[in-house]
Amino acid sequence: MTLSGRLFPAVVLAGSMALMAGAALADQPTAKPTGLWLTTDYPAVTEHMGDTATLSLTLANSNLPPVRVGFSLEGLPDAWKWQIDGGSKQIAAAMVGPDDKRLLDLKLTPPEGVKPGNYDFTVIGKADDGETLKLPITVTLGAASPDEITLDPKLPSLRGTPRSKFEYDVSIHNDSPEEATLNLVADAPPGFGTTFTEQYGSQEISSLPFKAGETKTVKVAIKPPADLAAGKYAVTVSAADAKTQGSTQLGLDVTGQPTMSLTAEDGRLSGQAEAGKEATFSFTVSNTGTAPAKNLKISANTPSGWKVEADPKSLDELGPGADQKIALHVTPSDKAIAGDYMVNVNSAGDGVSDHADLRVTVTTSTVWGIVGLLIIAAAVIVLAFAVTRYGRR
Amino acid sequence: MRREGSPFKGLSVVAFKEAADHMASPRMHLVMLLVILTAIGSIYGAIGQIKETVGQDPFLFLRLFTTARDPLPSFMAFLGFLLPLIGIALGFDAVNGEYSRRTMSRILSQPIYRDALLAGKFLGALMVIAICLVTLWLMISGMGILLLGLPPSGEEVLRSFAFLLTSLVYSGVWLAASMLFSTLFRAPATSALAALTLWLVLTLFWGMLAPLAAGAFVPIDPFDPSTAVHQAEIAHALARLSPSTLFGEVTLALLNPATRALGIIFYSQLQGAVMGAPLPFGQSAILIWPQLASLIAGMLVVYTIAYLSFQRQEIRA
Repeated sequence: MTLSGRLFPAVVLAGSMALMAGAALADQPTAKPTGLWLTTDYPAVTEHMGDTATLSLTLANSNLPPVRVGFSLEGLPDAWKWQIDGGSKQIAAAMVGPDDKRLLDLKLTPPEGVKPGNYDFTVIGKADDGETLKLPITVTLGAASPDEITLDPKLPSLRGTPRSKFEYDVSIHNDSPEEATLNLVADAPPGFGTTFTEQYGSQEISSLPFKAGETKTVKVAIKPPADLAAGKYAVTVSAADAKTQGSTQLGLDVTGQPTMSLTAEDGRLSGQAEAGKEATFSFTVSNTGTAPAKNLKISANTPSGWKVEADPKSLDELGPGADQKIALHVTPSDKAIAGDYMVNVNSAGDGVSDHADLRVTVTTSTVWGIVGLLIIAAAVIVLAFAVTRYGRR
Repeated sequence: MRREGSPFKGLSVVAFKEAADHMASPRMHLVMLLVILTAIGSIYGAIGQIKETVGQDPFLFLRLFTTARDPLPSFMAFLGFLLPLIGIALGFDAVNGEYSRRTMSRILSQPIYRDALLAGKFLGALMVIAICLVTLWLMISGMGILLLGLPPSGEEVLRSFAFLLTSLVYSGVWLAASMLFSTLFRAPATSALAALTLWLVLTLFWGMLAPLAAGAFVPIDPFDPSTAVHQAEIAHALARLSPSTLFGEVTLALLNPATRALGIIFYSQLQGAVMGAPLPFGQSAILIWPQLASLIAGMLVVYTIAYLSFQRQEIRA
C-alpha cells in the first residue's frame, strides 16, 4: 500500500513530463524519442580465442522517470562466464534517471577449449515497470593471431680488431595487437661485454616498452676481450616478454692485432748511473696481441750529451705472446749534474708503440773529493812542517 | 838549542783551562745570549711560517733552518752572520791579552811549549764553540719536535749534523783569523777591530765587490756571449774566496736537498732533469765537499800563519 502510494505522484509526474515532451515534440521535429534503451556500439564483434571479451553497453533513459533495470543473459552456453561491471563494480542491476545513461561493461570469459565460431546471445534488461529490454549480440571467436617480435639488424656482421667496438643498430618490431615490455638479452661467448643503448643516446637499457605494432631501434655494442684470437664469433640478441620472444644473430669477424708493451725488469723504472760512465738497464719488449708485430725499433730520448744504446736496436718480427730482452746502455754526460733525470724509452713497430720513462739518478765522481782531502792534507803538512821547523820553543 | 819531548805536552791542560775560562767569562755569556735569542726568534718564526704555508714536505725538519719569516731572517742566515762573531769574541785577545795581563812569561815558565799554548788556546775555544753549537742544535731539534710534532728522519739528522760540523769549521776559521790578529797586534782593541773589519768586509761587502772586480778584470764583449759566462765564473771564483760564501753554499746544499749544483750551470745540463727531486745525502756531501775542504784547509793555513808569527815573536818584552 505504502509503496504504491509513494509511487503514484511519481507516475503522475512522469505522465506530465510525457505530456510536456509531447508538446516539445510538436514544436521541434528533431526532438528526442521517449523511452528506455539498452544499446551497444558493436553488437557483432570478433574476439581472439583465450581472451576475455569486453563489450561496452549503454543503458539510456529518455524522458522517463528513474527506472531500475536488472540484467541477465540468455542463449549463452553454460560454461561461459559473464559479468556486468558498472562504475568499476560488478553489478546485477542499474538505475537510470530521466535523460541520463549508464555506461556498463559486459565481460565474457569463454571456457578453455572453446571452439571457434559464432555465439549468439541476448542481454536482457528487466525494468521494474515490467518492460523488457533485449539486446542481441553475436560474438565470433577467431583463432588467436600469434604474437610475434622480430629483430632486424641493419648491419648484421661487422669486422674489426679485438680493440674495436662493434656497434649494431637493431630494430625491434612488436608485431602483436598488445602492448608489451620486452627484456633485451644478449647471449655472447664468455668475456664479451654487451650493452644496449638507445639509438641516439647513451643510457643503457635493459628493457623497452612497446605499443602494439610499434618498432624501435636500439644500439647493441659488443666489446670483445682484448686478447681474443682472430676468428668469427656470433652473438645472439633477443627481445622477449613472458609470452613471446624474438631473436637475431649478430656476427663479429675479429682480425688479429699486435699489442706491444715495454716493461722494465722487475717493473723498476729507476736506477743509478755515474756521470760519464755506462750503466745498463734491462727492459723487455713483449707482444701481448694476437698478430705478429713487425719492424720494431727501440730508441730513447735523452738529455743532451747523453749516450743511450739499445741492444738489440731493432727486431724484424715479434710473434704474438713472444718477448725479447733489451739491454739499454745509458751513459750520462760527463758534465751531468748529480740528481734525477728522465730518459724516455720508446719501442715502435708497424702500427704499435709503447714507451717507458726511466728515472736515472746520476751520481758524480768522488775524484774531486780526494782532491779536497789532498788540499787538507797539504795544509796539515804545512802545519807539521811549521811545527818541526819552529816548534818546541 | 833544540829542546826535546813532544811539542804538545800540556796541550790538554791549556785547552781545558781555556775552555773553562771562556765558559765563565761574561763576554761569552753575552755572545751566546745573543745567538740563542736570535735562534729562538728565527726558529719560532720559521715554525709559524711552516705551519701556515707548508702542506707536505719530505724534509720538513730541515725547513726549520731555512725558512724565514719577515722581519726575521732564517736561522741559517743568522748563523752565517753571527758564527764569525763568536769566533772573533773568543780569539781576538788570545795572545795579546796574555801580554797585557803580563801573564805570558809566567805561563811559559811552566814546562809547556809555545806550540801547546797556542794550540791549546785554539782547541779550548773551539771546544767551547762546539759545546755551544751542540746545545743550540739540540735546542732547535727539541723545539722542532715539540712544536711541529714530528721527529726528524735519519737523512734529516745526518744533514743537520753535517750542518753543525760545517758551522763549527766556519767559526773555527774566524777563530784562527782573530787569533792571528791577536798575535800580530799587541793591543787587543786593535786586533778586535781588525778582525771585525775583516768580518764586515768578507760577510757584507765581498758579495758586492766580487762582481765589480770580475767586471774590471774581464769586461764583457757584447758580441761574444762566452765572455759573459767567463766573467760570471770569475766573479763566482772571487766570491768563493770569502769563507762566508763557502759557508752559505754548504748550508744551502745541506739544508735544501733539492740543490743540485753550486756554480754556473748551463741550460743543456738541466735538460731532462727532474726538478725538485732531492739528492741523496752522499751526493749532497760530494757537492759540498770542495767548499768544506776549503774551509778546513783555510782554517789550518790561517792557524799555521798565526803559529809561525807567534813562534817567532819576542815574548819577554
